[in-house]
Amino acid sequence: MTHASDTHQPLATPQRRFALTDGQVAVIRHLILMSFALVVLFPFFWIVSAAFKTQIDLLMGRILFEPNLDGFTKVIFDKTSDFLRNFGNSMVIGAISTFLVLVIATLAAFSLYRLQWPGWVLHSLLGWSVIFHMVPPITLAGAWYSMFRSVGLDNTYSGIILAHTTLHLPMALWMMGVFVRDVPKELVEAAQIDGAKVPHILWHVVLPIVRPGLAATGILTFIFSWNEFPVVLVLSQRQTATVPLGIGKYAQENTIAFTEMAAASTLSILPAFLLLLFAQRFIVRGLTSGAVK
Amino acid sequence: MAHVRLNNLSKSYGKVDVIKDVSLDIKDGEFVVLIGPSGCGKSTLLRMIAGLESITSGTLQIGGAPMNDVPPRDRGISMVFQSYALYPHMNSADNMSFSLKLAGEDEPQRRSKVDRAADILGLGPYLDRLPKQLSGGQRQRVAMGRAIVRKPEVFLFDEPLSNLDAKLRVKMRAELKELHQKLKTTTIYVTHDQVEAMTLADRIVVLRDGEIEQIGTPLELYDNPANAFVGAFLGSPTMNLLDLEVSAENPSEARFSDGEALRLAAPAAPGRATVGIRPECFALQSEAGSGALRAEVVVVEPTGASTELVVRKAGQNITVLSHERLAINPGDSVWLVPNAERVHAFPDGAAA
Ligand SMILES: Nc1ncnc2c1ncn2[C@@H]1O[C@H](COP(=O)(O)OP(=O)(O)O)[C@@H](O)[C@H]1O
Ligand SMILES: [Mg+2]
Repeated sequence: MTHASDTHQPLATPQRRFALTDGQVAVIRHLILMSFALVVLFPFFWIVSAAFKTQIDLLMGRILFEPNLDGFTKVIFDKTSDFLRNFGNSMVIGAISTFLVLVIATLAAFSLYRLQWPGWVLHSLLGWSVIFHMVPPITLAGAWYSMFRSVGLDNTYSGIILAHTTLHLPMALWMMGVFVRDVPKELVEAAQIDGAKVPHILWHVVLPIVRPGLAATGILTFIFSWNEFPVVLVLSQRQTATVPLGIGKYAQENTIAFTEMAAASTLSILPAFLLLLFAQRFIVRGLTSGAVK
Repeated sequence: MAHVRLNNLSKSYGKVDVIKDVSLDIKDGEFVVLIGPSGCGKSTLLRMIAGLESITSGTLQIGGAPMNDVPPRDRGISMVFQSYALYPHMNSADNMSFSLKLAGEDEPQRRSKVDRAADILGLGPYLDRLPKQLSGGQRQRVAMGRAIVRKPEVFLFDEPLSNLDAKLRVKMRAELKELHQKLKTTTIYVTHDQVEAMTLADRIVVLRDGEIEQIGTPLELYDNPANAFVGAFLGSPTMNLLDLEVSAENPSEARFSDGEALRLAAPAAPGRATVGIRPECFALQSEAGSGALRAEVVVVEPTGASTELVVRKAGQNITVLSHERLAINPGDSVWLVPNAERVHAFPDGAAA
């Protein structure tokens, strides 16, 4: 927003040779925004429309077409399709790993920021988590595969859940850290004086206040798990495959089932979409107003 | 109710000593105010008593029991924070009864205790409201209610009124005093506002740089400050601190550079002295007389009830407070007759 008014000022100055009116500036600004929106939304729109086309329509590049649900029917009802199972797997893995991530990240954030750790503990843990977060997951996948194999965790839900929990913990820790630090110190102290021990403080004081943070972090973690590809690719086989693997399966060596792929992709958007709609009302900041001052 | 005993309490953060060897005995039911300039360690000392800050050395006793290693919840204290620290997601009633709930009391018991506190504090209509739906004064009262429902042995207050506007502060100050008279609970109250200290305290403890400067009743400190710092800290308008000379021949007088002398309450060491005298400790007259000091009027500020004058005497400004209506203008000469009982020479170098 600020940059918009910054550019607006010099443009509107009358001495400029190509002076523009406020109206013209607004038009240009909207054109730029619309082109960005186009760049983002076009592929999305293209995939969704492809899901309703026949393979022929799609390959002929027809813009006008008669929508049909063949892609969806095949993806959902065809005996050879694993998509529903993939979907279920993703749900289970996403839900459980998100739950674990939230529990661990919240406890860790509270401990790090509200119990009196020496500075080096805080900084080395946070530093390590950043470094871990920056390592591309694919570099870990191979090592995890052989580790998990040797303890029998390959191709199991537990293994993938563990991997996803580990992968997404640093991000969640950072996010929850921000929300936990927003809880005024005095509230924790007041609770201590009121007789609360650490578990009470967490449950009765910190958690209710960071609920919007939990919702935001939870949604992001779930979406990350839902989208995660390289690690599940290595760790899972048919029984435990998740949605991204399922979508990938439609690209075979000889044929690519474009409409099924598009239909599966369209379906895969739904959970994140619903989650965002549902959780929006939780992600309301300012719950702490009135606590201090 | 309990007495509180601080024996040589100290607190250091690394190499920085914030509280230095503070000893203090607080009697059962006493209202003690800790006062001092910002950063002098008042909050730190209070938090050490509360158990929110560890004690580096020395011992703390509440009700005769050593408390150094006892967690806050077991010290029998309640604390009201400057920021109130109300739980934002709980309504007033739940804020007040949280401690009772943690202590395992049942609903009817909690209800009656909260109702009683709400009664005392006039919070009846606001029990269902969240903190954000309350005004500053109401939040302040809920914070006080939360402190009183637990029936603590000791109340701790950390500048509880400083977030209120001036008018409300005066009102709440009176309510606090009334509350203490009703409950008679030992209270330790931190403030940097000398009016609060004077009006509320049974005894005032003046702190500077983590050390106690003086302890006494408000009027003791007001009338007989131990040093210039205490003298200047309490009272408004501020005590006059004059730079005078005490001669060896007559140690019970302090001389201005123009030769006129001020009688002291007690003899002082010869040499330069900081002499403190409160603005209201002068009688004014319009002509010379024995013991009267001539000065020139610089500023006249009538406030209705009283008149504040700034006069100049031998190059030093003196504030004078008079309760008479004065027909005086800047430039006039006046003669000041100081009340010798109230003229204190302080050891030099102790001025604030
Ligand atoms: N955690 C801390 N680490 C280091 N110094 C601190 C800490 N807390 C307070 N201090 C210092 O201790 C001194 C006293 O602080 P405080 O008790 O808050 O003063 P007051 O309440 O009288 O204004 C200040 O100089 C402050 O900088
Ligand atoms: Mg303070």
